[in-house]
Amino acid sequence: MKQNERRIVEGGDSPQQRKAGDGAKRAILALAGGAGLFVLGSIAFDLGILGDDGSHPTNSSERESDMAAAYFSPPAETSIPDGPDGDAIRRGMALFVNTKTNAADFVGNELSCASCHLDKGREPNSAPMWAAYVIYPKYRSKNKQINTMEDRLRGCFTYSMNGQDSPSGGPPPAGHPIYKDLQMYFHWLASGAPVGESLPGQGYPELEKTALGYDPQRGAQVYEQNCAACHGSNGQGQRDLNGKLVFPPLWGPNSYNWGAGMARVNTAASFIKANMPMGQGGTLTDQEAWDAAAFIDSQERPRDPRQTGSVADNAAANHGQDTYYGKIVEGRLLGTGTGR
Amino acid sequence: MTRPEEPSRPGENFEPYEEMRQIPIGVIMFAVALALWGGVLLYQSSYAVAVGRADETVLSPQSEQGLGLTGAKLFEANCTTCHQPGGEGVEFAIPPLDKSPFLAGGPEIAASILLRGIDGPIRVGDETFDGHMPSFASALDNAEIARLATYLQARFAGRKQAISGERVAALRREIADAGPFAGGQEIAARFDSSLSPQPEVKPLAGGMGISSGILELVNQGRGEVWSCSSCHGDRGQGADTVPRLAGLPADYIAKQLLDYTEGRRRNENMELVARSLSETEREGLGRYYASMRAASTARPSLGGNLERGRELVLSGDWSIGVPSCTSCHGPSAFGVTPGFPGLAAQHPSYTASQLAAWVSGERDNSRQKMMNVIANALNDRDRAAVADYLATLPPVPAPATTADEVKR
Repeated sequence: MKQNERRIVEGGDSPQQRKAGDGAKRAILALAGGAGLFVLGSIAFDLGILGDDGSHPTNSSERESDMAAAYFSPPAETSIPDGPDGDAIRRGMALFVNTKTNAADFVGNELSCASCHLDKGREPNSAPMWAAYVIYPKYRSKNKQINTMEDRLRGCFTYSMNGQDSPSGGPPPAGHPIYKDLQMYFHWLASGAPVGESLPGQGYPELEKTALGYDPQRGAQVYEQNCAACHGSNGQGQRDLNGKLVFPPLWGPNSYNWGAGMARVNTAASFIKANMPMGQGGTLTDQEAWDAAAFIDSQERPRDPRQTGSVADNAAANHGQDTYYGKIVEGRLLGTGTGR
Repeated sequence: MTRPEEPSRPGENFEPYEEMRQIPIGVIMFAVALALWGGVLLYQSSYAVAVGRADETVLSPQSEQGLGLTGAKLFEANCTTCHQPGGEGVEFAIPPLDKSPFLAGGPEIAASILLRGIDGPIRVGDETFDGHMPSFASALDNAEIARLATYLQARFAGRKQAISGERVAALRREIADAGPFAGGQEIAARFDSSLSPQPEVKPLAGGMGISSGILELVNQGRGEVWSCSSCHGDRGQGADTVPRLAGLPADYIAKQLLDYTEGRRRNENMELVARSLSETEREGLGRYYASMRAASTARPSLGGNLERGRELVLSGDWSIGVPSCTSCHGPSAFGVTPGFPGLAAQHPSYTASQLAAWVSGERDNSRQKMMNVIANALNDRDRAAVADYLATLPPVPAPATTADEVKR
């Protein structure tokens, strides 16, 4: 910059004997113009006109964290208090992520709460527990009555955790400490959340029907391409060296039973669209999500514990649309259950 | 080719008009703008360097792992992904620590297990587990193992007996290269017969049951093609940007070799080597390295923030759409065959170079581009943090290669 100025000054001193002010004027003009150009350039770069994609590796994450700001954010795990309440919260969290071990008597499959409520029940749009906690007690058409959170949890153990095949043969009895600890965990997750409000990110965002409808055969292809790497081509999940289940089974005797919400195609499609493949939620098309859900939910799984008579009777009594329960797929009546 | 007539060279002196004509104002403006740009860039990079230096001093591995961590913190950082925060273990997979008879027998047992790891079946309570626990000899120093063993005793067995760092140092010398305990049987025999009965350990196959052809590929190479061990080390431990292979899932290794031959993964050296291999050889090499036992030679080397690395590896950062590494690579980052390699004890330069390759798209052989998406969501410092933290994890204990398996 100094050099430029000197040249300008030299220009002013040229043999033509310019007026003394001329050089100064030019210097000011050059400086102002240069600064102007620089500012224009920076603005253009910021607007992305000159930017190239490679130089913005954090772009997508910035966008996501902008979105995240719109959701309620539960307290950090490090802020769990000490003392009896903190102990109960920690027990609840352990139950949530390691359900099979910590509620061994009441779990009849290999799932955990955290299998479907991602990030330990914290992730928005994956039925986060901070959003659920503040809207209970509530009326549920599933059992046509007001449900407390404990009632709701009993439903989870009965259906999603397939309590009928557990050592005790059912969900924890009313008032069991398991319910208390889980609710302590949810209560803590919802610290500071407005009670009674339906918070953004609650449940799984409902996926609209597509014109094409859903089809298990198309879904088989979607599944093989997008789901099988983790859940296995046979849907039974995968284990590590120690036999620890790393990816949850999606059907068969170790998965949720026919009475679970996830056994309904619309629920599964909504979950898949928003959350799967892991870390890539929203990348499948609506059609792919519906078809994958149809493929998964048209496989046999443990029987519906509400069934007393025939599958057809139970289908009429307890199953609505968007389920393969009681339907015949590839010549097989679905809903008869899996032997253990 | 005829040369165009050379124009007469201009004189060295300025033409008179040149002395009079001024540099166009636009050019000067442009020069000023460039100078400003340069100045700003210099300032920004010096700021970034200063921040980076500050981070390194604050978060260097030494100060991070420092001697200050209590037994409880060591437990939380090293044991809970598998044994769980409450020490309850995982049914059918990970033995419980809570009320474990192995902890009731004095702190030397716990310290020895931490130093050696376990590689064989073990009965705890009424349940029998497969038993693949890594050795923490490379991950924790003597004082840390002493504090951790003392803590485990007190918390899960209700015993107040402490063990000193000096005693752990002596144990470390005694153990030397003993390798992992061959299941609960060896522990019971060595320390406490009341821990019996323990499940029987199938004898390890001599020479690991690998054909002489595979051993030749590993040790001598074939024809023009050099040996595996010339780069990956004689125990598959790797170094720097050459990956550790010991303990990686067999099918993962075979798949990578196939990907090199078919152009799905790119590296000139490896493509050359892989093209010379048959399918049987790819599988044989996979099995060879999967069953290889080798101590960790990886250490954090990128100045990454280990606290951030631990967060990303164990919990992920869902605010940027990144699930934990362990949610797919397994709770100890041992890998899940065939799609997910073990990450524990991998060399940080290699891990970081792969993460960078996933970002640039130079590597793209994961299903659904899973790793490209994840690596892209991380910034440079996160990638260094992850790579450095993974290097601190204890290595995969090799799956027991039994005589039965070899015959397959």
